[in-house]
Amino acid sequence: MRRLLLVGLFLVGLIWALMSYPGLANRGEYQSIVLDFREDLTDAQIESELSTIAQQYGVIPRPNSIFSKTDHVYILDGNSQLLKTLRQSDLKDYTESIDANYIYQAFAVPNDPGYVKQWNLKSISVETAWDQTKGIGVTVAVIDTGVSQVPDLKKTKFVAGYDFVNDKKDASDDNGHGTHVAGTIAQSTNNNYGVAGIAYEASLMPLKVLSASGGGTIVDIAEAIRFAADKGADVINMSLGGGGDTAILREAIDYAHSKGVVIVAAAGNANTNAASYPARYPTVIAVSATDSSGLKAPYSNFGAGVDISAPGGSKVNGDAGGILQETIDPESGSAFASFQGTSMAAPHVAGVAALIKSVGVKDPDAVAEILKRSAHAIPDDTLNHFGAGLLNAGEAVKLAQRENLDVKDFLRWLRDNGYFNLKFWFDGGVVALLPKIAMVLGSYLLAWFLRGYLPLASLSLGSGLVLGSSGLFFLRGFYIFDLPQFPFRVLGSSIAELGGAIQGSALLNPIFASVLIPFCLVAFLLGHAQWKWFAIGSTLGVASCLAVSAAIDPGMAWLGTGMAARIFLVINTLLCLGLGYLAAKAAHSGTRTEVL
Amino acid sequence: MITVEGSVQRSGMGAGTWALVTRDGTSYEIHPGAPKDLLQPGARVRVKGEVREDVMTIAMIGPVLEVKSFELLE
Repeated sequence: MRRLLLVGLFLVGLIWALMSYPGLANRGEYQSIVLDFREDLTDAQIESELSTIAQQYGVIPRPNSIFSKTDHVYILDGNSQLLKTLRQSDLKDYTESIDANYIYQAFAVPNDPGYVKQWNLKSISVETAWDQTKGIGVTVAVIDTGVSQVPDLKKTKFVAGYDFVNDKKDASDDNGHGTHVAGTIAQSTNNNYGVAGIAYEASLMPLKVLSASGGGTIVDIAEAIRFAADKGADVINMSLGGGGDTAILREAIDYAHSKGVVIVAAAGNANTNAASYPARYPTVIAVSATDSSGLKAPYSNFGAGVDISAPGGSKVNGDAGGILQETIDPESGSAFASFQGTSMAAPHVAGVAALIKSVGVKDPDAVAEILKRSAHAIPDDTLNHFGAGLLNAGEAVKLAQRENLDVKDFLRWLRDNGYFNLKFWFDGGVVALLPKIAMVLGSYLLAWFLRGYLPLASLSLGSGLVLGSSGLFFLRGFYIFDLPQFPFRVLGSSIAELGGAIQGSALLNPIFASVLIPFCLVAFLLGHAQWKWFAIGSTLGVASCLAVSAAIDPGMAWLGTGMAARIFLVINTLLCLGLGYLAAKAAHSGTRTEVL
Repeated sequence: MITVEGSVQRSGMGAGTWALVTRDGTSYEIHPGAPKDLLQPGARVRVKGEVREDVMTIAMIGPVLEVKSFELLE
């Protein structure tokens, strides 16, 4: 009985799912019908059928193209009513199919003539996102040099802002930066003019805190953040940075975050190993910049604090590599200008955050989580150039619609309790955990096979096994703000990985990832009563590390990632095993002699 | 007050700004209002000034240096 009930429930669920599936048939549009006549009909038979249709229904079927006649494919104008009638008529005996001629549409490509030059929008898959939302109902505050309503912002909605530099209500731009940033977020789109913006149905709140020279004080910035939070902004974009940690700014950011505002800021343009303030604050999403080929832009900050990357462009090879939006121009009033910087990257993320909010995700931590989880992850990002990866608008909106995600409480707890505070920062994405565990376990397994010769409980053997196989790998993603990170990378690397650790390369260096270092260690330490176990442990550890690398990811400097690297690693694994075995035997008999 | 030695360069970030780049590659953003004679691309200079912790900018190329005095080198 119970089983029957379950089957019944399952069927009801299945039917409901099928019926609510928005298949093409339910939402497709068509104005014509396709007739595909049977291949064995003669031209004369088809002609007679066609004239019958013309007489009966008053529509004249025509070949779809010059190729259609040989394929016996004809189309005729008609709607669902005619389609139904035709399918029930004698015509079905003469045809292979009678179908609606659905109009297939590419993703909503806007008609803005400059859209073709916006490589940056294509690279974040914004068209897929536009299928679902264009940011309606969301307000984005642009804390910058002000925003002027240039022609390509005329159709964009604005809410009241403020000019904190000159203390007036009109927050027009006198620099050009803020208008450009606002354009990336919500440039008027599908208006047959200029270029496109990401969340072009969202409203902009212009807040001017930076003067015409492009600088401003943290007091104005903090006031603008509070203004935005109080006046209903959902997202804040700050394409600005510098200075240090100040209570006034930190408290303003915490206030806005507590009111549910997503805060996005540029990581900075000094090409240094930490995001600048205010991007560095834990509740601010710090954005690094990529160029048109998806590499880190040469100026972009990276490392500690960087949460995600987005197109910021690089004009090294000319203006086409920059980000194109309309902004003010001293001579003609307005002009389309190509800018570069993490300033340009941040509004991409702010725009996508607006899209996420417009489909109903309200909690700023959940929005940040969606942005990061939907980002296109970059493998082997040892220096954290990209944070969670490259921004992906399409995937972000999809993820946001799937369910209202709540951030794992554990992450929130970590952040609130100081692990992600302003001194330390931890890049969780840098360590591939499973291979590391396999390396450590593998090395212990090897030691266990040689247990007849080895003191398994020995501390020096254990440290050799760990250092040889995985190193203190959890340290690899550890940062102290404003200090070089390589000491942690070195400590977090096994002996075999040391070669690439300082430069931050994920490739193994053939000098280090070989039998060479274990051989030297054994040669020098085999005579020592305690250190010999360390030498043997690290030999077995390296063997395990090389074996796992050969199996999973044989990427090596000079040798590539293919068969050559794999063969090199396997040979050295075997050499290490042989060395470990011989050394263990020798050390064991040595110990016995000492004991005797 | 700090003393920084380096070369004056025009930076292309944002709408453009002036940078002071030291030999080890650290860059400072020169705060607006610096003397015109200092702002010559390529000039080697020794600058005395103050880092403005209370200022944020669109260029974000490094600490904001308010120039108090400077001398041209060589």
